[in-house]
Amino acid sequence: MSALVNVAEQPAPDAPQDALQYLTFMLGGEMFAIGILAIKEIIEYGNLTEVPMMPDYIRGVINLRGSVVPVVDLSSRFGRKSTQITRRTCIVIIEVAGEQEKQVVGVVVDAVNEVLEIPQEEIEAPPAFGARIRTDFIRGMGKVNGRFVIILNVGNVLSLDDLALLEQTHAHVTSAADVEAAQ
Amino acid sequence: MSMDQALQTYIEESHGLLEEMEAILLRLENEPQDDETVNAMFRAAHTIKGSAGLFGLDAIVAFTHVVENVLEEVRDGALSVDGELVELLLECRDHIGLLIAVVAESGGALDAAQTAAGEALAGRLRARRGGAPAHAAGVPAIHESPVAASGGGPVEGDCWHLSIAFGHEVLKNGMDPISFIRYLSTIGDIVSLAIDDSELPGLEEMDPEACYLSYSIEFRSEADKQTIEDVFEFVREDCRLRIFPPPSHLAAFVERLEHASGNTDMLGQLLIEAGILTGHELETALRAQDSMAAGDTGTRPPIGEVLVRDGLVQKEVVDVALEKQRQIRDHKAQEARFVRVSAEKLDELINLVGELVIAGAGASLLARRSGDAALHEANSAVANLVEEIRDGALKLRMVEIGETFNRFQRVVRDMSRELGKDIGLEIGGADTELDKTVVEKIGDPLMHLVRNAMDHGIEAVEARVAAGKPAKGTLRLNAYHDSGSIVIEVADDGGGLKKEKILRKAIERGIVGPGQNLSDSEICNLVFEAGFSTAEQVSNLSGRGVGMDVVKRNIQALRGSVDIESAEGRGTTVRIRLPLTLAIIDGFLVGVGKSSFVVPLDMVLECIELSEADRQIAAARSYVNLRGEVLPFVRLRDEFEIKAPPGKRENIVVVQYGGQKAGFVVDELLGEFQTVIKPLGSVFRHLKSISGSTILGTGEVALILDVPALLQLGVARDAQRLVRET
Repeated sequence: MSALVNVAEQPAPDAPQDALQYLTFMLGGEMFAIGILAIKEIIEYGNLTEVPMMPDYIRGVINLRGSVVPVVDLSSRFGRKSTQITRRTCIVIIEVAGEQEKQVVGVVVDAVNEVLEIPQEEIEAPPAFGARIRTDFIRGMGKVNGRFVIILNVGNVLSLDDLALLEQTHAHVTSAADVEAAQ
Repeated sequence: MSMDQALQTYIEESHGLLEEMEAILLRLENEPQDDETVNAMFRAAHTIKGSAGLFGLDAIVAFTHVVENVLEEVRDGALSVDGELVELLLECRDHIGLLIAVVAESGGALDAAQTAAGEALAGRLRARRGGAPAHAAGVPAIHESPVAASGGGPVEGDCWHLSIAFGHEVLKNGMDPISFIRYLSTIGDIVSLAIDDSELPGLEEMDPEACYLSYSIEFRSEADKQTIEDVFEFVREDCRLRIFPPPSHLAAFVERLEHASGNTDMLGQLLIEAGILTGHELETALRAQDSMAAGDTGTRPPIGEVLVRDGLVQKEVVDVALEKQRQIRDHKAQEARFVRVSAEKLDELINLVGELVIAGAGASLLARRSGDAALHEANSAVANLVEEIRDGALKLRMVEIGETFNRFQRVVRDMSRELGKDIGLEIGGADTELDKTVVEKIGDPLMHLVRNAMDHGIEAVEARVAAGKPAKGTLRLNAYHDSGSIVIEVADDGGGLKKEKILRKAIERGIVGPGQNLSDSEICNLVFEAGFSTAEQVSNLSGRGVGMDVVKRNIQALRGSVDIESAEGRGTTVRIRLPLTLAIIDGFLVGVGKSSFVVPLDMVLECIELSEADRQIAAARSYVNLRGEVLPFVRLRDEFEIKAPPGKRENIVVVQYGGQKAGFVVDELLGEFQTVIKPLGSVFRHLKSISGSTILGTGEVALILDVPALLQLGVARDAQRLVRET
């Protein structure tokens, strides 16, 4: 109930007209951006507890002031190598609207850059291919100082149903693989 | 308290009262009439009506009034209770419930059909009332109690009766009796005045300065008793004054008494509050009471008796006051036993206690590390207290399951009629306690199981008799505690599950492969698979093939499990096993590699070391010899694909769940730990074998093992392996 009210009061984080400000961050040498309204905070990487039997892109869970928050490895989520932890590795805490309630999810990024204002007219539609990321993950391509920044569609990247579903198929695949291996 | 809040309280109270009425009615059906239960029911109806009146809910007042009339006749013995009347009253109870739902909760009005149904019920009720004239439904008669009609005071009409005997000293004290009587006439009309001079002595003995006269006055006035008494204030010490209220005031007194605030439970104070008695009169009466107590008998007559004897208050009024006093005391006693607290506040408290536990664990850890013995000591004292607070806070939310069970009395009764079966409900373990949040969620699954048992489990009467069973079927709800969980059983003595049919159906639906060999209990548990229903005929009550799987899902969502046991021809028992609480548990912390896991402590039996010899052969087989017993075990390292190499030593935590014993192989035993359960979020909803998470003193997150699921996984894996090998 209260979650519904919140959603109604707050503009949807992905709505383009409201997401003029973006947080940019680095991931595998590439620059990405997320609409700032979805972001709750940015914390240092650490104290992560791994959860067994989960796909690689679920790195584990952390304690965020008393609540347990899952942490997603964005790089693995995009089908690349999992993120190498360095001194600059951060966890960006993002609020995602689920089917019934909002959930808070952390994403691991290599480094956080800055908050930028990208006007709507400076945002191009995502390319049909070539970004080497599922196109539905991309909201648009922002032009900043002559470079392209991939603006992520947080709702799709961190879609809880999607995450949970993939994890289920993962479990199935492994058990099927087990069976085959045993045979 | 605002009107809205008051209305909310009224609605809640009414629901409680209606439930009480239902329980009483169902009891009345089986047990001979007993005055106290009828009284209780009458009071319930009366309270609903009275409070509805306060909120101007006329529809409720009108209908409940008719019900109350009937109940009153039952109470007075003019009507006897039979099955038909109980049936009728049950319907009426439902109608009142409907009225409250529609009129009070949503502020609407009944539609035509519902109103007509209400009218019909009211009509049937009036028909049940013997010769008594039926009141029109809309006009509750307030003054129909016999008190109002009996009159019986010392005077007739609407006049106060004053009797004043002035003391001899009045004139010497400078008071003139006449002036008081004259003053009296300023607040009303003196209708008649009689002088009683019987005290007057002979001339030779008479003291001319003394007053010997008594006056008897009929006085018509709107003033209340206190005002009249105040007229004589200056001579109060010197005269005997009695003021009798006019009989027409009696009804008003009774009414005022009934609406007394309930601030006091003293009879005298009650009467004063209602304006029937004055403070002075009460004092005099109390003194009289004391002097009687000091007298030869030594017993203290009740104050009511003294008041009646002195003619200060009519007996009828005292009776009403006594009844009111009893009510107030009952109410007070109830208030003392229970405090209404909103569930939200309670949840908040429990959340805070959870945080306290976590913070406490952090502090303990630091204290241990500091090596300061005094600090450590102080901290463990705090930790002990925190544990007690935790248990206390959780207990606040514990409720008895009996209330939930009792709701099924009605369900069973109504449904057995509908099905044309004769089924009785037996309840056991009603005082078993469990968390309120669990109770709230268990209602629907239970309802489904009960309906299922009645519809499909228990056979029709003819079939029962043919099978040599008693014609009356029995459904049994039972609850008990078992190693940290609560077990709820729904058992019937019906036909049991037809295993062949279930197996055939399962194969038909492709749930089971044709070559698979299943044990009896596995076959029984197939009914919990989605889309499974063996009922040949789908009734409107159950059998649509949704349900049993929903039941299972709901119960699993509560971290519980459900199991079915059935003997063909003898009956079926569904056993639901639920955790006692959803918030905080005692855990046992173990370490595997760098990860920590929590095993619910209630399930831990003991810990043993995995000996070197066992470690050698553990690769080949997964069981050890535990004092002559075979103990299968699960290696958490393998189960959870933890890559860190095993430590020098490994230990086995022996757990028990639902009669099954097994071991978990872990690296380290880290000891007991108060575990505040944090849900793992929907991302992990498909993750079996982990039931939740908790936060350690260090701030790290530890995962809570789902012991039943892990054991089941072990069983399933072995079964698979066997299938593959054969």
